[in-house]
Amino acid sequence: MFNLKYKDDFFKFILSVFVLAVVVIFLIAVIVILYYSYPSISRYGISFLWKKEWNPPAEIFGALTFLAGTFFVTFLALIFAIPLSLGTGIFLQEYCPFFLRGIFTIIIEMLAGIPSVVFGVWGVLTVVPWIRESVEPFFSRHFSGVPFLKVEENIGYGILAASIIVAFMILPIIASITKDSLSSVPKLAKDGALAMGATKLDVIKDVSMPYALNGIYGGIILGFGRAIGETIATVLLIGNQAIVPKSLFSVGYTISSMLANTFTFAVISPIYASAEVELALILLLISLMVNIVGRNILNRVIGGRFSRSQFGGG
Amino acid sequence: MPNENNDLKPVKSDDGNIDNIIVNVKNLNFYYGNYHLLKSINLYFKKNSVCTLLGPSGCGKSTFLRTLNRMNDYTEGAKLTGEVLIDGKNIYDKSVDVVELRRNIGMVFQNPNPFPKSIFENVAFGLKIHGIKNKDFIVERVEKCLKYAGLYDEVKDKLNKSALSLSGGQQQRLCIARAIATNPSILLMDEPTAYLDPVSTSIILDLINSFKKYYTIIVVSHNVQQSGRISDYSGFFLDGELIEFDESGNFFTRPKDKRTENFITSRY
Repeated sequence: MFNLKYKDDFFKFILSVFVLAVVVIFLIAVIVILYYSYPSISRYGISFLWKKEWNPPAEIFGALTFLAGTFFVTFLALIFAIPLSLGTGIFLQEYCPFFLRGIFTIIIEMLAGIPSVVFGVWGVLTVVPWIRESVEPFFSRHFSGVPFLKVEENIGYGILAASIIVAFMILPIIASITKDSLSSVPKLAKDGALAMGATKLDVIKDVSMPYALNGIYGGIILGFGRAIGETIATVLLIGNQAIVPKSLFSVGYTISSMLANTFTFAVISPIYASAEVELALILLLISLMVNIVGRNILNRVIGGRFSRSQFGGG
Repeated sequence: MPNENNDLKPVKSDDGNIDNIIVNVKNLNFYYGNYHLLKSINLYFKKNSVCTLLGPSGCGKSTFLRTLNRMNDYTEGAKLTGEVLIDGKNIYDKSVDVVELRRNIGMVFQNPNPFPKSIFENVAFGLKIHGIKNKDFIVERVEKCLKYAGLYDEVKDKLNKSALSLSGGQQQRLCIARAIATNPSILLMDEPTAYLDPVSTSIILDLINSFKKYYTIIVVSHNVQQSGRISDYSGFFLDGELIEFDESGNFFTRPKDKRTENFITSRY
Protein backbone atom coordinates (compact mmCIF):
# COMPACT_ATOMS: atom_id res chain seq x y z
CA MET A 1 0.00 0.00 0.00
CA PHE A 2 1.25 3.49 -0.83
CA ASN A 3 1.64 5.81 2.03
CA LEU A 4 0.59 9.40 1.53
CA LYS A 5 4.08 10.60 0.71
CA TYR A 6 4.44 8.20 -2.21
CA LYS A 7 0.97 8.98 -3.45
CA ASP A 8 1.91 12.63 -3.61
CA ASP A 9 5.13 11.90 -5.47
CA PHE A 10 3.30 9.62 -7.87
CA PHE A 11 0.70 12.25 -8.63
CA LYS A 12 3.41 14.83 -9.17
CA PHE A 13 5.20 12.44 -11.52
CA ILE A 14 2.07 11.83 -13.61
CA LEU A 15 1.44 15.57 -13.91
CA SER A 16 5.05 16.16 -14.92
CA VAL A 17 4.69 13.56 -17.67
CA PHE A 18 1.62 15.37 -19.00
CA VAL A 19 3.41 18.70 -19.01
CA LEU A 20 6.42 17.16 -20.69
CA ALA A 21 4.12 15.62 -23.33
CA VAL A 22 2.75 19.06 -24.18
CA VAL A 23 6.25 20.47 -24.58
CA VAL A 24 7.34 17.48 -26.67
CA ILE A 25 4.30 17.72 -28.94
CA PHE A 26 5.00 21.39 -29.53
CA LEU A 27 8.63 20.66 -30.35
CA ILE A 28 7.69 17.77 -32.65
CA ALA A 29 5.27 20.04 -34.52
CA VAL A 30 7.98 22.65 -35.02
CA ILE A 31 10.53 20.02 -36.04
CA VAL A 32 8.15 18.37 -38.53
CA ILE A 33 7.32 21.76 -40.06
CA LEU A 34 11.02 22.59 -40.31
CA TYR A 35 11.84 19.15 -41.74
CA TYR A 36 9.19 19.21 -44.44
CA SER A 37 9.85 22.82 -45.42
CA TYR A 38 13.59 22.16 -45.77
CA PRO A 39 13.48 21.05 -49.46
CA SER A 40 11.66 24.24 -50.38
CA ILE A 41 13.92 26.44 -48.25
CA SER A 42 17.08 24.97 -49.79
CA ARG A 43 15.73 25.08 -53.33
CA TYR A 44 14.15 28.55 -53.44
CA GLY A 45 16.18 30.28 -50.74
CA ILE A 46 15.24 33.62 -49.26
CA SER A 47 13.81 34.86 -52.57
CA PHE A 48 10.80 32.64 -51.81
CA LEU A 49 9.55 35.57 -49.74
CA TRP A 50 9.30 38.09 -52.59
CA LYS A 51 8.70 35.93 -55.68
CA LYS A 52 5.16 36.35 -56.92
CA GLU A 53 4.61 33.35 -59.13
CA TRP A 54 2.93 30.28 -57.66
CA ASN A 55 2.90 27.59 -60.31
CA PRO A 56 2.80 24.03 -58.95
CA PRO A 57 3.04 22.18 -62.31
CA ALA A 58 6.20 24.14 -63.21
CA GLU A 59 7.47 23.83 -59.64
CA ILE A 60 7.89 27.60 -59.33
CA PHE A 61 6.91 28.85 -55.91
CA GLY A 62 6.92 32.34 -54.40
CA ALA A 63 5.08 33.49 -51.27
CA LEU A 64 4.50 37.15 -52.09
CA THR A 65 0.88 36.77 -53.19
CA PHE A 66 -0.13 35.08 -49.97
CA LEU A 67 2.00 37.28 -47.72
CA ALA A 68 0.45 40.33 -49.35
CA GLY A 69 -3.07 38.95 -48.93
CA THR A 70 -2.40 38.01 -45.32
CA PHE A 71 -0.98 41.37 -44.34
CA PHE A 72 -3.59 43.30 -46.30
CA VAL A 73 -6.42 41.54 -44.47
CA THR A 74 -4.67 41.73 -41.08
CA PHE A 75 -3.87 45.42 -41.21
CA LEU A 76 -7.23 46.38 -42.61
CA ALA A 77 -8.94 44.34 -39.90
CA LEU A 78 -6.86 46.13 -37.27
CA ILE A 79 -7.72 49.51 -38.76
CA PHE A 80 -11.42 48.64 -38.52
CA ALA A 81 -11.19 46.97 -35.13
CA ILE A 82 -8.95 49.34 -33.16
CA PRO A 83 -11.20 52.43 -32.97
CA LEU A 84 -14.28 50.29 -32.41
CA SER A 85 -12.73 48.19 -29.68
CA LEU A 86 -10.97 51.09 -27.93
CA GLY A 87 -14.29 52.91 -27.89
CA THR A 88 -16.03 49.85 -26.53
CA GLY A 89 -13.41 49.28 -23.83
CA ILE A 90 -13.37 52.93 -22.76
CA PHE A 91 -17.16 53.06 -22.64
CA LEU A 92 -17.44 49.87 -20.61
CA GLN A 93 -14.89 50.93 -18.03
CA GLU A 94 -15.52 54.64 -17.73
CA TYR A 95 -19.02 55.52 -18.83
CA CYS A 96 -21.20 52.40 -18.69
CA PRO A 97 -23.76 52.35 -15.85
CA PHE A 98 -22.70 49.81 -13.27
CA PHE A 99 -25.61 47.40 -13.78
CA LEU A 100 -25.08 47.26 -17.56
CA ARG A 101 -21.34 46.74 -17.43
CA GLY A 102 -21.59 43.08 -16.45
CA ILE A 103 -24.11 42.32 -19.19
CA PHE A 104 -22.08 44.04 -21.91
CA THR A 105 -18.91 42.36 -20.74
CA ILE A 106 -20.55 38.95 -21.01
CA ILE A 107 -21.84 39.73 -24.50
CA ILE A 108 -18.36 40.76 -25.62
CA GLU A 109 -16.84 37.63 -24.16
CA MET A 110 -19.50 35.59 -25.97
CA LEU A 111 -18.51 37.31 -29.19
CA ALA A 112 -15.00 35.99 -28.59
CA GLY A 113 -16.39 32.49 -28.29
CA ILE A 114 -18.30 32.40 -31.59
CA PRO A 115 -16.67 29.79 -33.87
CA SER A 116 -14.96 31.47 -36.79
CA VAL A 117 -16.89 29.45 -39.37
CA VAL A 118 -20.11 30.94 -38.02
CA PHE A 119 -18.64 34.40 -38.49
CA GLY A 120 -17.68 33.35 -42.02
CA VAL A 121 -21.16 32.12 -42.85
CA TRP A 122 -22.66 35.31 -41.49
CA GLY A 123 -20.23 37.26 -43.64
CA VAL A 124 -21.26 35.39 -46.78
CA LEU A 125 -24.93 35.91 -46.01
CA THR A 126 -24.86 39.60 -45.08
CA VAL A 127 -21.53 41.35 -45.55
CA VAL A 128 -20.85 40.08 -49.08
CA PRO A 129 -24.27 41.12 -50.48
CA TRP A 130 -23.97 44.48 -48.70
CA ILE A 131 -20.57 45.13 -50.28
CA ARG A 132 -21.77 43.94 -53.68
CA GLU A 133 -24.99 45.93 -53.72
CA SER A 134 -24.08 49.08 -51.80
CA VAL A 135 -20.40 49.59 -51.13
CA GLU A 136 -18.87 48.60 -54.46
CA PRO A 137 -21.38 50.50 -56.63
CA PHE A 138 -20.80 53.57 -54.46
CA PHE A 139 -17.03 53.36 -54.76
CA SER A 140 -17.06 52.60 -58.48
CA ARG A 141 -19.23 55.68 -59.02
CA HIS A 142 -17.26 58.11 -56.87
CA PHE A 143 -13.72 56.77 -56.45
CA SER A 144 -13.08 54.91 -59.69
CA GLY A 145 -9.75 56.61 -60.35
CA VAL A 146 -8.38 56.32 -56.82
CA PRO A 147 -5.69 53.67 -56.28
CA PHE A 148 -6.55 51.05 -53.63
CA LEU A 149 -10.25 51.84 -54.02
CA LYS A 150 -10.79 50.55 -57.56
CA VAL A 151 -13.61 48.05 -58.00
CA GLU A 152 -12.45 45.39 -60.43
CA GLU A 153 -15.22 42.81 -60.31
CA ASN A 154 -18.43 43.65 -58.57
CA ILE A 155 -18.79 40.37 -56.65
CA GLY A 156 -18.67 41.36 -52.99
CA TYR A 157 -16.06 38.81 -52.08
CA GLY A 158 -12.52 39.96 -51.43
CA ILE A 159 -10.15 41.75 -49.06
CA LEU A 160 -12.77 44.11 -47.67
CA ALA A 161 -15.30 41.42 -46.81
CA ALA A 162 -12.65 39.28 -45.14
CA SER A 163 -11.20 42.24 -43.21
CA ILE A 164 -14.58 43.32 -41.87
CA ILE A 165 -15.32 39.87 -40.50
CA VAL A 166 -11.83 39.40 -39.07
CA ALA A 167 -12.20 42.83 -37.45
CA PHE A 168 -15.32 41.57 -35.64
CA MET A 169 -13.41 38.53 -34.50
CA ILE A 170 -10.56 40.49 -32.94
CA LEU A 171 -12.78 43.22 -31.51
CA PRO A 172 -13.55 41.34 -28.28
CA ILE A 173 -9.86 40.68 -27.64
CA ILE A 174 -8.82 44.30 -27.93
CA ALA A 175 -11.97 45.63 -26.26
CA SER A 176 -11.72 43.45 -23.17
CA ILE A 177 -8.00 44.07 -22.77
CA THR A 178 -8.60 47.80 -23.14
CA LYS A 179 -11.24 47.58 -20.43
CA ASP A 180 -8.98 45.57 -18.13
CA SER A 181 -6.03 47.88 -18.70
CA LEU A 182 -8.19 50.89 -17.84
CA SER A 183 -9.51 49.18 -14.73
CA SER A 184 -5.96 48.63 -13.51
CA VAL A 185 -5.24 52.37 -13.54
CA PRO A 186 -4.73 53.37 -9.89
CA LYS A 187 -7.80 55.14 -8.49
CA LEU A 188 -5.50 57.55 -6.68
CA ALA A 189 -4.10 58.79 -9.99
CA LYS A 190 -7.58 59.40 -11.35
CA ASP A 191 -8.69 61.07 -8.12
CA GLY A 192 -5.70 63.38 -8.38
CA ALA A 193 -6.89 64.63 -11.75
CA LEU A 194 -10.56 64.80 -10.76
CA ALA A 195 -9.69 66.84 -7.68
CA MET A 196 -8.00 69.36 -9.97
CA GLY A 197 -11.29 69.88 -11.73
CA ALA A 198 -10.56 67.57 -14.64
CA THR A 199 -13.57 66.33 -16.56
CA LYS A 200 -14.00 62.62 -17.20
CA LEU A 201 -12.61 63.13 -20.69
CA ASP A 202 -9.53 64.92 -19.29
CA VAL A 203 -8.95 62.02 -16.92
CA ILE A 204 -9.23 59.44 -19.69
CA LYS A 205 -7.03 61.45 -22.02
CA ASP A 206 -4.34 62.56 -19.61
CA VAL A 207 -4.26 59.91 -16.89
CA SER A 208 -6.02 56.65 -17.72
CA MET A 209 -4.90 56.24 -21.32
CA PRO A 210 -1.19 56.97 -20.67
CA TYR A 211 -1.32 54.42 -17.85
CA ALA A 212 -3.24 51.85 -19.86
CA LEU A 213 -1.49 52.35 -23.17
CA ASN A 214 1.04 49.56 -22.80
CA GLY A 215 -1.69 47.08 -21.99
CA ILE A 216 -3.69 48.26 -24.97
CA TYR A 217 -0.65 47.84 -27.23
CA GLY A 218 -0.41 44.28 -25.94
CA GLY A 219 -4.09 43.72 -26.73
CA ILE A 220 -3.65 45.07 -30.25
CA ILE A 221 -0.69 42.77 -30.81
CA LEU A 222 -2.69 39.78 -29.60
CA GLY A 223 -5.47 40.85 -31.96
CA PHE A 224 -2.91 41.02 -34.74
CA GLY A 225 -1.79 37.48 -33.89
CA ARG A 226 -5.37 36.27 -34.02
CA ALA A 227 -6.09 38.06 -37.30
CA ILE A 228 -3.00 36.82 -39.09
CA GLY A 229 -3.80 33.18 -38.48
CA GLU A 230 -7.55 33.43 -39.08
CA THR A 231 -8.49 30.78 -41.61
CA ILE A 232 -12.08 29.69 -42.07
CA ALA A 233 -13.64 33.13 -42.25
CA THR A 234 -11.08 34.25 -44.83
CA VAL A 235 -11.52 31.06 -46.89
CA LEU A 236 -15.21 31.84 -47.13
CA LEU A 237 -14.85 35.53 -47.89
CA ILE A 238 -11.61 36.48 -49.60
CA GLY A 239 -12.36 35.02 -53.03
CA ASN A 240 -9.42 32.59 -53.04
CA GLN A 241 -7.49 33.69 -56.08
CA ALA A 242 -3.71 33.77 -56.14
CA ILE A 243 -3.25 37.38 -57.13
CA VAL A 244 -1.56 40.21 -55.27
CA PRO A 245 -4.44 42.44 -54.17
CA LYS A 246 -4.25 45.92 -55.63
CA SER A 247 -7.38 47.34 -54.10
CA LEU A 248 -9.70 47.13 -51.13
CA PHE A 249 -12.15 45.28 -53.34
CA SER A 250 -9.66 42.85 -54.92
CA VAL A 251 -10.02 39.17 -54.35
CA GLY A 252 -6.94 37.52 -52.91
CA TYR A 253 -5.58 34.71 -50.84
CA THR A 254 -4.10 34.54 -47.38
CA ILE A 255 -1.50 32.00 -46.29
CA SER A 256 -3.96 30.26 -44.01
CA SER A 257 -6.85 30.14 -46.47
CA MET A 258 -4.55 28.89 -49.22
CA LEU A 259 -3.24 26.11 -47.01
CA ALA A 260 -6.75 25.13 -45.98
CA ASN A 261 -7.88 24.92 -49.59
CA THR A 262 -4.93 23.26 -51.26
CA PHE A 263 -2.80 21.34 -48.81
CA THR A 264 -4.71 18.06 -49.12
CA PHE A 265 -3.81 17.75 -52.78
CA ALA A 266 -0.41 19.44 -52.48
CA VAL A 267 0.91 16.37 -50.67
CA ILE A 268 1.02 14.45 -53.96
CA SER A 269 4.16 16.36 -54.99
CA PRO A 270 6.97 16.57 -52.39
CA ILE A 271 8.25 19.96 -53.52
CA TYR A 272 4.73 21.44 -53.78
CA ALA A 273 3.97 20.19 -50.29
CA SER A 274 7.29 21.51 -49.04
CA ALA A 275 6.57 24.98 -50.42
CA GLU A 276 3.22 24.99 -48.65
CA VAL A 277 4.80 23.81 -45.41
CA GLU A 278 7.26 26.65 -45.71
CA LEU A 279 4.29 29.04 -45.86
CA ALA A 280 3.00 27.38 -42.70
CA LEU A 281 6.39 27.91 -41.10
CA ILE A 282 6.33 31.61 -41.96
CA LEU A 283 2.88 31.92 -40.43
CA LEU A 284 3.98 30.00 -37.33
CA LEU A 285 7.02 32.21 -36.82
CA ILE A 286 5.05 35.43 -37.22
CA SER A 287 2.29 34.26 -34.86
CA LEU A 288 4.75 33.04 -32.25
CA MET A 289 6.70 36.25 -32.33
CA VAL A 290 3.61 38.40 -32.16
CA ASN A 291 2.13 36.40 -29.31
CA ILE A 292 5.31 36.40 -27.27
CA VAL A 293 5.70 40.15 -27.67
CA GLY A 294 2.02 40.81 -26.92
CA ARG A 295 1.93 38.60 -23.86
CA ASN A 296 5.13 40.03 -22.49
CA ILE A 297 3.72 43.51 -22.70
CA LEU A 298 0.48 42.42 -21.06
CA ASN A 299 2.17 40.49 -18.29
CA ARG A 300 4.23 43.51 -17.42
CA VAL A 301 1.17 45.72 -17.35
CA ILE A 302 -1.71 43.65 -16.06
CA GLY A 303 0.31 40.95 -14.37
CA GLY A 304 -0.06 37.39 -15.58
CA ARG A 305 -3.78 37.46 -16.31
CA PHE A 306 -3.27 36.88 -20.00
CA SER A 307 -0.42 34.43 -19.87
CA ARG A 308 -3.00 31.74 -20.50
CA SER A 309 -5.30 33.61 -22.82
CA GLN A 310 -8.90 32.57 -23.23
CA PHE A 311 -8.64 33.53 -26.87
CA GLY A 312 -7.60 30.70 -29.13
CA GLY A 313 -6.15 30.91 -32.61
CA GLY A 314 -8.04 30.58 -35.89
CA MET B 1 -11.39 80.02 -15.78
CA PRO B 2 -8.49 80.96 -13.55
CA ASN B 3 -7.88 84.64 -13.93
CA GLU B 4 -4.50 85.15 -15.51
CA ASN B 5 -3.96 88.39 -13.59
CA ASN B 6 -5.00 86.80 -10.35
CA ASP B 7 -1.59 86.17 -8.88
CA LEU B 8 -0.77 84.17 -5.80
CA LYS B 9 -1.14 87.07 -3.40
CA PRO B 10 -1.74 86.88 0.33
CA VAL B 11 -5.33 87.58 1.28
CA LYS B 12 -5.88 89.88 4.23
CA SER B 13 -7.08 87.97 7.20
CA ASP B 14 -9.83 89.58 9.21
CA ASP B 15 -10.52 87.63 12.34
CA GLY B 16 -13.66 87.90 14.36
CA ASN B 17 -15.82 88.81 11.35
CA ILE B 18 -18.72 86.49 10.58
CA ASP B 19 -18.05 86.97 6.86
CA ASN B 20 -14.76 85.35 7.53
CA ILE B 21 -16.28 81.89 7.39
CA ILE B 22 -15.36 80.25 4.10
CA VAL B 23 -16.74 76.75 4.56
CA ASN B 24 -19.88 76.15 6.54
CA VAL B 25 -21.11 72.59 6.95
CA LYS B 26 -24.71 72.24 8.06
CA ASN B 27 -26.24 68.99 9.28
CA LEU B 28 -24.23 66.84 6.88
CA ASN B 29 -25.07 63.16 6.71
CA PHE B 30 -23.34 60.71 4.46
CA TYR B 31 -24.48 57.18 3.72
CA TYR B 32 -22.69 54.43 1.91
CA GLY B 33 -25.32 51.86 1.07
CA ASN B 34 -27.01 51.24 4.40
CA TYR B 35 -24.01 52.38 6.35
CA HIS B 36 -24.41 55.76 8.03
CA LEU B 37 -20.87 57.04 7.63
CA LEU B 38 -21.14 60.68 8.69
CA LYS B 39 -23.72 61.68 11.29
CA SER B 40 -25.10 65.22 11.45
CA ILE B 41 -21.85 67.09 11.04
CA ASN B 42 -21.98 70.81 11.81
CA LEU B 43 -18.87 72.94 11.68
CA TYR B 44 -17.29 75.84 9.89
CA PHE B 45 -13.83 76.81 8.75
CA LYS B 46 -12.46 80.33 8.83
CA LYS B 47 -10.54 81.95 6.02
CA ASN B 48 -6.76 81.65 6.16
CA SER B 49 -6.70 79.25 9.03
CA VAL B 50 -5.25 75.78 9.33
CA CYS B 51 -7.66 73.22 10.68
CA THR B 52 -6.83 69.62 11.42
CA LEU B 53 -9.39 66.87 11.68
CA LEU B 54 -8.24 64.08 13.94
CA GLY B 55 -9.58 60.64 14.61
CA PRO B 56 -8.77 56.96 14.44
CA SER B 57 -8.78 55.12 11.11
CA GLY B 58 -12.25 54.57 9.70
CA CYS B 59 -13.87 57.35 11.71
CA GLY B 60 -15.07 59.14 8.56
CA LYS B 61 -12.64 62.05 8.57
CA SER B 62 -11.34 61.34 5.05
CA THR B 63 -14.88 60.82 3.77
CA PHE B 64 -15.79 64.16 5.32
CA LEU B 65 -12.86 65.84 3.60
CA ARG B 66 -13.98 64.39 0.28
CA THR B 67 -17.49 65.79 0.71
CA LEU B 68 -15.98 69.28 0.64
CA ASN B 69 -14.94 69.00 -3.02
CA ARG B 70 -17.58 66.42 -3.99
CA MET B 71 -15.03 63.67 -4.60
CA ASN B 72 -17.60 61.19 -3.32
CA ASP B 73 -19.79 61.91 -6.34
CA TYR B 74 -18.36 58.94 -8.19
CA THR B 75 -18.74 56.46 -5.34
CA GLU B 76 -21.41 53.90 -6.19
CA GLY B 77 -24.16 53.78 -3.58
CA ALA B 78 -23.19 56.98 -1.81
CA LYS B 79 -25.90 59.35 -0.55
CA LEU B 80 -25.58 62.70 1.10
CA THR B 81 -27.97 65.00 2.95
CA GLY B 82 -27.41 68.43 4.45
CA GLU B 83 -25.49 71.38 3.13
CA VAL B 84 -21.91 72.40 2.51
CA LEU B 85 -21.74 76.15 1.98
CA ILE B 86 -18.60 77.53 0.44
CA ASP B 87 -18.59 81.32 0.29
CA GLY B 88 -22.25 81.08 1.18
CA LYS B 89 -23.23 78.81 -1.72
CA ASN B 90 -24.31 75.20 -1.27
CA ILE B 91 -21.91 73.15 -3.35
CA TYR B 92 -24.46 70.34 -3.64
CA ASP B 93 -26.88 72.69 -5.36
CA LYS B 94 -27.82 71.51 -8.84
CA SER B 95 -26.53 74.70 -10.42
CA VAL B 96 -22.98 74.16 -9.15
CA ASP B 97 -20.35 73.27 -11.72
CA VAL B 98 -18.17 70.61 -10.10
CA VAL B 99 -15.23 71.41 -12.37
CA GLU B 100 -15.32 75.07 -11.35
CA LEU B 101 -15.76 74.10 -7.69
CA ARG B 102 -12.70 71.88 -7.71
CA ARG B 103 -10.58 74.51 -9.37
CA ASN B 104 -11.16 76.58 -6.27
CA ILE B 105 -10.30 73.69 -3.94
CA GLY B 106 -6.91 72.05 -4.17
CA MET B 107 -6.47 68.55 -2.80
CA VAL B 108 -3.40 66.66 -1.66
CA PHE B 109 -3.71 62.94 -1.05
CA GLN B 110 -2.29 60.46 1.42
CA ASN B 111 -0.01 58.87 -1.14
CA PRO B 112 1.87 61.15 -3.48
CA ASN B 113 0.08 60.70 -6.80
CA PRO B 114 1.86 62.65 -9.51
CA PHE B 115 0.68 61.96 -13.05
CA PRO B 116 2.96 59.85 -15.25
CA LYS B 117 4.15 63.02 -16.95
CA SER B 118 7.07 65.39 -16.60
CA ILE B 119 7.51 67.52 -13.48
CA PHE B 120 6.56 70.60 -15.48
CA GLU B 121 3.48 69.01 -17.01
CA ASN B 122 2.26 67.90 -13.58
CA VAL B 123 2.12 71.44 -12.28
CA ALA B 124 0.83 72.81 -15.58
CA PHE B 125 -1.95 70.19 -15.74
CA GLY B 126 -4.55 72.19 -13.83
CA LEU B 127 -3.87 75.31 -15.86
CA LYS B 128 -4.10 73.47 -19.16
CA ILE B 129 -7.34 71.62 -18.40
CA HIS B 130 -8.88 74.93 -17.41
CA GLY B 131 -8.09 76.33 -20.81
CA ILE B 132 -5.03 78.50 -20.18
CA LYS B 133 -2.91 78.57 -23.32
CA ASN B 134 -0.52 81.46 -22.63
CA LYS B 135 2.83 79.65 -22.51
CA ASP B 136 4.74 82.41 -20.71
CA PHE B 137 2.10 82.57 -18.03
CA ILE B 138 2.17 78.80 -17.56
CA VAL B 139 5.96 78.70 -17.32
CA GLU B 140 5.96 81.54 -14.82
CA ARG B 141 3.17 80.00 -12.74
CA VAL B 142 4.78 76.56 -12.69
CA GLU B 143 8.04 78.05 -11.50
CA LYS B 144 6.29 80.08 -8.83
CA CYS B 145 4.29 77.12 -7.53
CA LEU B 146 7.38 74.93 -7.38
CA LYS B 147 9.09 77.68 -5.40
CA TYR B 148 6.13 77.99 -3.03
CA ALA B 149 6.22 74.25 -2.48
CA GLY B 150 9.94 74.45 -1.72
CA LEU B 151 10.82 72.15 -4.55
CA TYR B 152 12.13 74.46 -7.23
CA ASP B 153 15.84 74.35 -6.34
CA GLU B 154 15.79 70.58 -6.31
CA VAL B 155 14.10 70.15 -9.71
CA LYS B 156 14.91 73.29 -11.70
CA ASP B 157 17.38 71.44 -13.94
CA LYS B 158 15.12 68.50 -14.66
CA LEU B 159 11.67 69.95 -15.20
CA ASN B 160 11.20 67.71 -18.22
CA LYS B 161 12.09 64.53 -16.33
CA SER B 162 9.32 62.21 -15.26
CA ALA B 163 7.69 63.14 -11.98
CA LEU B 164 7.90 59.48 -10.99
CA SER B 165 11.70 59.78 -10.78
CA LEU B 166 11.39 62.00 -7.69
CA SER B 167 11.57 60.75 -4.10
CA GLY B 168 8.35 60.29 -2.11
CA GLY B 169 8.78 63.54 -0.23
CA GLN B 170 9.56 65.44 -3.41
CA GLN B 171 6.56 63.86 -5.14
CA GLN B 172 4.30 65.02 -2.33
CA ARG B 173 5.64 68.57 -2.59
CA LEU B 174 5.10 68.34 -6.35
CA CYS B 175 1.50 67.38 -5.67
CA ILE B 176 1.19 70.42 -3.42
CA ALA B 177 2.64 72.62 -6.18
CA ARG B 178 0.15 71.04 -8.58
CA ALA B 179 -2.73 71.68 -6.21
CA ILE B 180 -1.95 75.39 -5.80
CA ALA B 181 -1.30 76.04 -9.50
CA THR B 182 -4.91 76.94 -10.23
CA ASN B 183 -4.81 79.39 -7.32
CA PRO B 184 -7.47 77.79 -5.13
CA SER B 185 -8.71 79.41 -1.96
CA ILE B 186 -9.03 76.14 -0.05
CA LEU B 187 -6.49 73.33 0.28
CA LEU B 188 -7.65 69.92 1.44
CA MET B 189 -4.97 67.55 2.65
CA ASP B 190 -5.70 63.92 3.42
CA GLU B 191 -2.95 62.73 5.76
CA PRO B 192 -0.33 64.34 3.53
CA THR B 193 2.60 63.09 5.56
CA ALA B 194 1.37 59.59 6.36
CA TYR B 195 3.90 57.85 4.17
CA LEU B 196 6.80 60.27 4.37
CA ASP B 197 10.07 60.18 6.27
CA PRO B 198 10.55 62.58 9.22
CA VAL B 199 12.57 65.12 7.22
CA SER B 200 10.02 65.32 4.39
CA THR B 201 7.23 65.44 6.95
CA SER B 202 8.84 68.37 8.69
CA ILE B 203 9.26 70.23 5.38
CA ILE B 204 5.60 69.74 4.55
CA LEU B 205 4.42 70.83 8.00
CA ASP B 206 6.45 74.00 7.62
CA LEU B 207 4.87 74.53 4.21
CA ILE B 208 1.40 74.23 5.70
CA ASN B 209 2.29 76.82 8.30
CA SER B 210 3.57 79.25 5.71
CA PHE B 211 0.60 78.62 3.41
CA LYS B 212 -2.18 79.87 5.63
CA LYS B 213 -1.67 83.44 4.54
CA TYR B 214 -2.77 82.32 1.07
CA TYR B 215 -5.24 79.54 1.68
CA THR B 216 -7.69 78.00 4.06
CA ILE B 217 -6.15 74.63 4.84
CA ILE B 218 -8.04 71.61 6.10
CA VAL B 219 -5.81 68.69 7.03
CA VAL B 220 -6.92 65.21 7.95
CA SER B 221 -4.49 63.53 10.27
CA HIS B 222 -4.20 60.90 12.90
CA ASN B 223 -1.05 62.34 14.30
CA VAL B 224 -1.86 64.43 17.39
CA GLN B 225 1.60 65.90 17.72
CA GLN B 226 1.77 67.14 14.15
CA SER B 227 -1.70 68.61 14.37
CA GLY B 228 -0.81 70.53 17.48
CA ARG B 229 2.16 71.96 15.68
CA ILE B 230 0.36 73.35 12.65
CA SER B 231 -3.29 73.97 13.39
CA ASP B 232 -5.37 76.93 14.50
CA TYR B 233 -8.50 74.82 14.88
CA SER B 234 -8.90 71.14 15.52
CA GLY B 235 -11.74 68.69 15.31
CA PHE B 236 -12.10 65.15 16.55
CA PHE B 237 -14.09 62.52 14.64
CA LEU B 238 -15.18 59.21 16.10
CA ASP B 239 -17.46 56.67 14.42
CA GLY B 240 -18.79 59.24 11.96
CA GLU B 241 -19.56 61.87 14.57
CA LEU B 242 -17.81 65.15 15.16
CA ILE B 243 -17.12 64.88 18.88
CA GLU B 244 -15.41 68.18 19.41
CA PHE B 245 -14.30 71.20 17.40
CA ASP B 246 -12.42 74.09 18.93
CA GLU B 247 -9.44 76.38 18.73
CA SER B 248 -6.36 74.25 18.93
CA GLY B 249 -5.21 75.91 22.14
CA ASN B 250 -8.34 74.76 23.96
CA PHE B 251 -8.64 71.52 22.03
CA PHE B 252 -5.26 70.18 23.04
CA THR B 253 -5.01 71.57 26.56
CA ARG B 254 -8.61 71.58 27.79
CA PRO B 255 -10.68 69.13 25.72
CA LYS B 256 -14.33 69.23 26.76
CA ASP B 257 -15.12 65.64 25.86
CA LYS B 258 -13.59 62.65 27.59
CA ARG B 259 -13.25 60.82 24.26
CA THR B 260 -11.22 63.68 22.78
CA GLU B 261 -9.00 63.63 25.80
CA ASN B 262 -8.53 59.91 25.48
CA PHE B 263 -7.54 60.30 21.85
CA ILE B 264 -5.07 63.11 22.29
CA THR B 265 -3.49 61.29 25.18
CA SER B 266 -3.24 58.27 22.85
CA ARG B 267 -5.78 55.95 24.38
CA TYR B 268 -7.27 54.85 21.06
